[in-house]
Amino acid sequence: MALVEINNVRKTFGELEVLKGVTIEVEKGEIVTIIGRSGSGKSTLLRCINGLEQIDSGEIRIGEQVVHAKSTDLRKLRQHVGIVFQQFNLFPHMSVERNITLAPILAGRVQKGAAARELALKVLTQVGLAEKIDAYPEQLSGGQQQRVAIARCLAMSPDLMLFDEVTSALDPELVGEVLKVMEDLARQGMTMILVTHEMGFARNVASKIVFMHAGKVHEQGPPAELFANPATPELQNFISSTR
Amino acid sequence: MQLNFNQLWRYQDEFLHGIQMTLTLTLIATVFGLAIGLAGASLSRSRFAPVRIAIATYVELIRNTPALIQIFLIFFVLPYAGLRFPPFYAAAVALSIYMGAYAVEIFRSGLASIPKSQIEAGQCLGLSKFQVFRHVILPPALRNIYPSLTSQIILVLLGSSLASQVSAEELFHTAAFVESRTFRSFEVYAVVCAIYFVMVLSLRLLFSGFERIAFRWPTRR
Ligand SMILES: Nc1ncnc2c1ncn2[C@@H]1O[C@H](COP(=O)(O)OP(=O)(O)O)[C@@H](O)[C@H]1O
Ligand SMILES: [Mg+2]
Repeated sequence: MALVEINNVRKTFGELEVLKGVTIEVEKGEIVTIIGRSGSGKSTLLRCINGLEQIDSGEIRIGEQVVHAKSTDLRKLRQHVGIVFQQFNLFPHMSVERNITLAPILAGRVQKGAAARELALKVLTQVGLAEKIDAYPEQLSGGQQQRVAIARCLAMSPDLMLFDEVTSALDPELVGEVLKVMEDLARQGMTMILVTHEMGFARNVASKIVFMHAGKVHEQGPPAELFANPATPELQNFISSTR
Repeated sequence: MQLNFNQLWRYQDEFLHGIQMTLTLTLIATVFGLAIGLAGASLSRSRFAPVRIAIATYVELIRNTPALIQIFLIFFVLPYAGLRFPPFYAAAVALSIYMGAYAVEIFRSGLASIPKSQIEAGQCLGLSKFQVFRHVILPPALRNIYPSLTSQIILVLLGSSLASQVSAEELFHTAAFVESRTFRSFEVYAVVCAIYFVMVLSLRLLFSGFERIAFRWPTRR
């Protein structure tokens, strides 16, 4: 059984139908990369997956849980589904350590104090920022902030991680350090759904590419095939426009 | 005109008592006013229109009428509702209600100053609504409104002199009393003015000291 099943999901904002029946499956350990033009509904889809947005019809299942079912405790669900945003969204008034340990402490996963600090150190080491544990977000570069945001997710030991254009707000020279962290995660078997404009990264790391166009999955497949033989003119255009 | 401050020394104890009462009034109005403000601001985001309308009505009524009349109304009207307060407590109630209305507005702007993306980041980490409020929204919101909140507390301290009009014993009441005994009007009010000035100045120092301790995280700009 796939870890994530997105089945014929529809979503409208007022008059605007943003998702027009999206179906995607994600196996455990898979890296699914969503590409597509701005406005094609990629962010909306990610926000539906962790229940930030309601859906009009269809179903999203993660493990045993149906995300939009009335009986689903979204808090519990989100403790297993991490999301990283384009704008990092670290808490400016908390140190890096506090940013990372807040959720695990409040969820009763780890004791305040030495144990929490150890957890923060562990995930910071994973993103190569152990020495910044006592810094505040404003004292870090964009790339460092984004790596802390990833570490903050990792501290909850998620089963699934969502990434929404996490390198788009970064200066070009800082993109690499964030992509490297994501590559490491992929190699360690983390299940990830990520939206990106980094085609090189998508090509090398993804197990599957999903091309979204006009609210639908227009094409999908393994990166080598999809990039070599795009079946539709829309994807051909999109690929040539990103070169 | 010949100035003579000597006679005033005899009333040291009265002045001290007045200072104490003024500070107590300010403290009570601040504590209850902030509680009203925080609760009112949170409720003004309620889904229920009657709740929002009730809070807006309260805020507008208080902010658009003279504090002195509010104090009179509470002092003279409450007994008809079976609530008989001594003047000092009636003044404390009135000033709390007065402070509360301004605090609602200040807290509201504070809560509104926190971007939605911060709230979502908290939700996405599996925090409850209350936890998001307590840990994500409140600390930076407090920092943003700290200057207006502390100015408002100082306005309440100065405004507490109005309580003398219902014979609550505070500093200004003391001044009127000493004046009636000594007939040294100018001296009495000069001294009282200086006392208010020193109280406000000390309060401002206290506030800025607290600000430095409480809000230490670095910010852009
Ligand atoms: N909260 C919202 N309210 C109204 N329209 C929205 C909202 N969020 C997104 N949209 C619209 O939905 C469409 C898809 O947006 P989005 O999912 O952000 O696209 P993408 O991430 O692919 O660029 C856009 O036209 C956008 O304007
Ligand atoms: Mg987007």
